[in-house]
Amino acid sequence: MPHLKAAISRTLQLALVLWAVVTILFLMFRLMPGNPMAAYIDPTFTLEQQQALMAQFGLDKPLWEQYFIYIGNLLQGELGQSFRYREPVATRIWALLPNTLILTFSSLILAYTFGILAGAYLAWKRGGVVENAAIPLVLTTRAMPEFWLGMVLLAIFSFNLGWFPAGGTRPAGASYDSLWALYTSREFLSYLALPALTLAIYSQGLPLLLMRSNMLDVMKEDFVTMARIKGLSNWTVVVRHAARNALLPVMTSFAIAVGYQLQGNVVVESVFSWPGLGRELVNAVSASDYPLAQGAFLMIAVVVILMNLIADLLYALLDPRISHA
Amino acid sequence: MKSSFRAAGASAILALLAAMPALAADQIRTIDLLTRPQASQPQEFQSVQLIAQEWRKLGLDVNVRVMPWEQMSDIVWYQRDAWDATAWQMVGRPERSDPDEIIYNLFHSSTAENGYNFIGYVSPEYDQVAEAQRVEIDETARQGLVREAQEILAADQPNMMLVNPRQTFAFDNTVWNPESVVEQSGIGIRNTWTFMALEPLGERKDIILNSGDNVQAINPLYISGGVDSWVFELVYDRLARVGPDGLPQPWAAESYEWRDDRTIEVKLREGMAWHDGEPLTAEDVKFSFEAAVSGEAPMYAPFASNIETIEVVDDHNLVFTLKQPAASFITSSLAKINLIPQHVWEPIIEDLKTKEENAESYQEERPIGSGPFKFERWLTNEEIVLSANADHFNAPKAERWILRIVPNVEAALGMLRSGEINFLAEFTGDPQVLIQAAEQDGDLEVVSTVEMGFRYVAFNNRRAPFDDPAFRKALSSAVDRRLIVGAAFRGFAEPSNSVISPALEFWYDPAVFDGFEMGSDVAARQLEEAGYTLEGGRLHYPEGVSEEHAN
Repeated sequence: MPHLKAAISRTLQLALVLWAVVTILFLMFRLMPGNPMAAYIDPTFTLEQQQALMAQFGLDKPLWEQYFIYIGNLLQGELGQSFRYREPVATRIWALLPNTLILTFSSLILAYTFGILAGAYLAWKRGGVVENAAIPLVLTTRAMPEFWLGMVLLAIFSFNLGWFPAGGTRPAGASYDSLWALYTSREFLSYLALPALTLAIYSQGLPLLLMRSNMLDVMKEDFVTMARIKGLSNWTVVVRHAARNALLPVMTSFAIAVGYQLQGNVVVESVFSWPGLGRELVNAVSASDYPLAQGAFLMIAVVVILMNLIADLLYALLDPRISHA
Repeated sequence: MKSSFRAAGASAILALLAAMPALAADQIRTIDLLTRPQASQPQEFQSVQLIAQEWRKLGLDVNVRVMPWEQMSDIVWYQRDAWDATAWQMVGRPERSDPDEIIYNLFHSSTAENGYNFIGYVSPEYDQVAEAQRVEIDETARQGLVREAQEILAADQPNMMLVNPRQTFAFDNTVWNPESVVEQSGIGIRNTWTFMALEPLGERKDIILNSGDNVQAINPLYISGGVDSWVFELVYDRLARVGPDGLPQPWAAESYEWRDDRTIEVKLREGMAWHDGEPLTAEDVKFSFEAAVSGEAPMYAPFASNIETIEVVDDHNLVFTLKQPAASFITSSLAKINLIPQHVWEPIIEDLKTKEENAESYQEERPIGSGPFKFERWLTNEEIVLSANADHFNAPKAERWILRIVPNVEAALGMLRSGEINFLAEFTGDPQVLIQAAEQDGDLEVVSTVEMGFRYVAFNNRRAPFDDPAFRKALSSAVDRRLIVGAAFRGFAEPSNSVISPALEFWYDPAVFDGFEMGSDVAARQLEEAGYTLEGGRLHYPEGVSEEHAN
């Protein structure tokens, strides 16, 4: 019974958070300076055209009415039509979301695999020359702006060495039978490499430092001492006993990092001409394309909320001591 | 104590006023000058800084307000009484090679309230000339009228014209024969003619070019972003096309001829076909023009609304009858309306008539035109692929035309050098950097062309002191345009004093720039002659004029 109750209250909370996000998004873009008509200003732009556009976009109605129409459409799963592209917002988001997700997850998996291994290693080798060199290095990579890092990688690996292409997801004019065929092709990996590496270098600091400090804590605990007394090898103690326990918080931070990463994508997608949601978001905001901006932000908010939920559930699953009671 | 002080002060001021009548006029308020940010518009921003500096020398207090385009255009366009001066730009487009759009829409009094005359310039004398050039079919007579219009503007200075920038593009000369590149007057080498003519030198036969902006739509009934027009000008034919010399020439029409000043006979080329194989007929042409005014394509409507009837004589001959004579008809209608297949669009338009949305929101899965390139595929925000239409009467020599979306301008240049693209169709960075890169590379050719488009500072003619032509003229004279060209545009521009670009040789009036005196001493003299005075280093209105817009 307590499980059901917890599930209901969780769902209600979620609905409340989503409603708040939707309302803030709706008001935010409309209160921002700017006007969606700006894109149409032209010597042949007439008053009739302006009025027709306002009506078409639904901007001729009072704000509260626009709000209720928007909420009503959302409840029917309808995100509206983009002002700029004149096509359904959902179509546009679905076309771009896979590219963003693949970039996000590949870079995060790279960052977390490296971060966990290196963090555990640094904890194991505590107090050595390696640690003295590695910690400042990690902090430096954490402080580098992503666009700068991206430009540096572009200049070195693409323009000077010619190892990787400079932008896009595929060679010019190449066609693939399906998205799957594209994503599993060698060319795609070569296009993915630099943007994913940029994001990975930027993101590896968190799991690395987190893993290291968790390991240092865990290594002091009684069960580790117990294991050592039992005469287990150093490797078994560190990997089988300490690392497994230290990993828990790192795994949940992964879920939350997905949300943060979506923001970082905005910059990297522009540097590497990656056709993702982040770039579209910037365009939509600057062009006052309310429906598209709302839709894209909502999509990111949903991913963040979802990942937080998964993080919560994961905690309970991985560590039975934590419950929802 | 206090009140007696105040009384004494007041009487002292009154005495001063009586003694010096010149002081009766108000000091001119702080002038707001709007510009877009340096990050997005470096040349505009730097020009405005230079202008503000020169205006301050005249005793004006100038406040430069930096804001993004969306905010700036919102103020300028929708709050027409609420600003003083703003930087502005007009981009070059092939159809603007006819001067009517600029001469009429920017300055005629009828467009002051809601149209592009957002500066509120009202001059009956100018209106007359602008109207006369619209209906004058005789080219030489019309040339005289267009030049007269430029002279009136030069005298009134409703705007402060700055420069015609140069458009700089580059291509890989190991991939494309440099001889085959076409430089279009006022546009540059990135144009439809180049894309049709580019001749491959070796195995690489795909034109791969870049754009910083996304393609919004490929829709023959919707005027969307500038990049979109690169695509649909290749996929769709028009009866006429603006040629490399800036003048319209027959295209899908084999010929056209004015029967009188309201009737034009059009003879269609034989053997044209749509990309789906169906023949292109005179009925399709008639349908294309009628679709524009069907109510489902509001943006194209102004370009076909002057047509009274279209008579289909036979499969290849049509007669257009106009409501009013229109000198720009060939450029602004025949070279503007995209020819679309009736068998594809008729059912769509009929269906849309029953719905709320119009044809502007309709995106075909696979656009069907009759143009030199066929649509192949479109990957959202990544690339557009077109393939050569070998059956076209002017079939391209390249195999495919591939547009890559590259928002990062440095990356675009790097891609040109590494061969990921072979035609740099947009470069918003410093042209000097491009030229240096070309010198280092050795395989790149850079071509820079004076644009039809122009940069200017718009004065709000509704508000004092900008309602006074003498004041506007002085402010305009205050800035040496060569300074702007050199410092803000690094030499990649031509100084200007006319809305008609020198690239449009036939229409441009060179006298308006040659007779234009510039410099702060010239401006100071003009202001003094017009009755403006300097008091304590600050400029004051002429006697009897008071400040109505004090900050």
